[in-house]
Amino acid sequence: MGLLLALLLCATARPARAQESPYFVLYDHHMEEPGNLEISLSPVLASPRNGPRSLATSLELEYGTTAWWTSSLYLDGASATAGPSAFTGFRLENRFRLLMHEHPVNPVFYVELADTNGADRVAKEIVGFDSWRDFAEPIREARTETEREVETKLILSGNRRGWNVAANAIAEKNLAGAPWELGYAVGTSRPLALAAQPFECHLCRENFTLGLEMYGGLGEAGNLTLSQTSHYLAASVAWSLPNGITLRLSPARGLTQTSNRSFVRFGISYEGHIR
Amino acid sequence: MRIAAFTLVLLVVTACASAPIPARNPYANRPEAVQAGAKLFLQHCAACHGADASGHAAPSLRRAAVQSLPDPALFSFITNGALRRGMPSWAQLPDERRWQLIAYLRSLHDD
Ligand code: HEC
Repeated sequence: MGLLLALLLCATARPARAQESPYFVLYDHHMEEPGNLEISLSPVLASPRNGPRSLATSLELEYGTTAWWTSSLYLDGASATAGPSAFTGFRLENRFRLLMHEHPVNPVFYVELADTNGADRVAKEIVGFDSWRDFAEPIREARTETEREVETKLILSGNRRGWNVAANAIAEKNLAGAPWELGYAVGTSRPLALAAQPFECHLCRENFTLGLEMYGGLGEAGNLTLSQTSHYLAASVAWSLPNGITLRLSPARGLTQTSNRSFVRFGISYEGHIR
Repeated sequence: MRIAAFTLVLLVVTACASAPIPARNPYANRPEAVQAGAKLFLQHCAACHGADASGHAAPSLRRAAVQSLPDPALFSFITNGALRRGMPSWAQLPDERRWQLIAYLRSLHDD
């Protein structure tokens, strides 16, 4: 279905290009331009400390509702090296820019509703006491648990001299009644070249943006802690092509015994103006 | 965790040091900057302002009202956008590229 949507978008939209941020987990304050639709496919390969690796994929449709409000729909799926594949749920996300002018630090409020099952392994954020064990559980069993969650983030981000620096505070709550689970993401990124070349080019440095991200869990409301939490350090790169396609890659290493050994995240996206 | 703390400190330092806008476009009258700006315009702006900047869903940028704005005012407008009226902020483009865009917009004046 993703492929079909992508083809439809290519046929009907004019390609548009943003300076794509390379982040996978961290958010900066850049909003989708109004009337732009971006469609992305993001597979993530997780290697738990013990047990089979799993591959999860999310298909995202991101739309610039206004210049200060961006909406996204995600459809998630997962498979493991042993056992069946499964549709693992959907998520609906909205981001609102809180200040209408550019400041050294720009706050954005993020709210997401997720209806997923226990086999969802997209790991778009790490919160609470998330652990590699969640990823090692067989999909067949995990997918019988339903998780209806609301997730909020305060995004703080600023640009200076070509650098972006961003920090996110994350609070997620299972609507079934568990306490708020807390997490964070921080990082920085910069294009390899700040000025543009006078000609169209694919491999020139201006098309590459490098980033460094760190993210992890911080326990729960009333039990803010680092013990038994997982943390990851990730390098990331985005390559924006002149035709509106962006390719992204981010290997991440687990930093604690509770973390997965590693994640490798991929992304391919196409952005077009449809309004 | 140390990296997290380091990034937070960096964010605060970034916040405290705000950059002054130069009084004149550092790329003014450089033909290769005009060409680079034309390329950036097609990538980022043409969908709303038209391929030749003469207006589409958004106003023409060839109008005297735009061309008579001083460089720093134009730079600041493109950086901030007019979010409530549908013009995005382009702060995520490095300063150099926003100046290249302005070099291109200025070149339209002399057509
Ligand atoms: C999503 C559509 C959209 C895109 C993309 C866009 N603009 Fe705009 N722009 C607008 C709208 C709408 C206005 C009118 C805002 C207003 O009413 O003040 C505007 C206004 C402007 C103005 C001021 C015009 C005036 O009459 O004062 C400038 C300069 C400008 N844009 C430059 C750019 C540049 C440069 C780019 C590309 C980097 C760009 N715009 C991309 C929608 C867009």
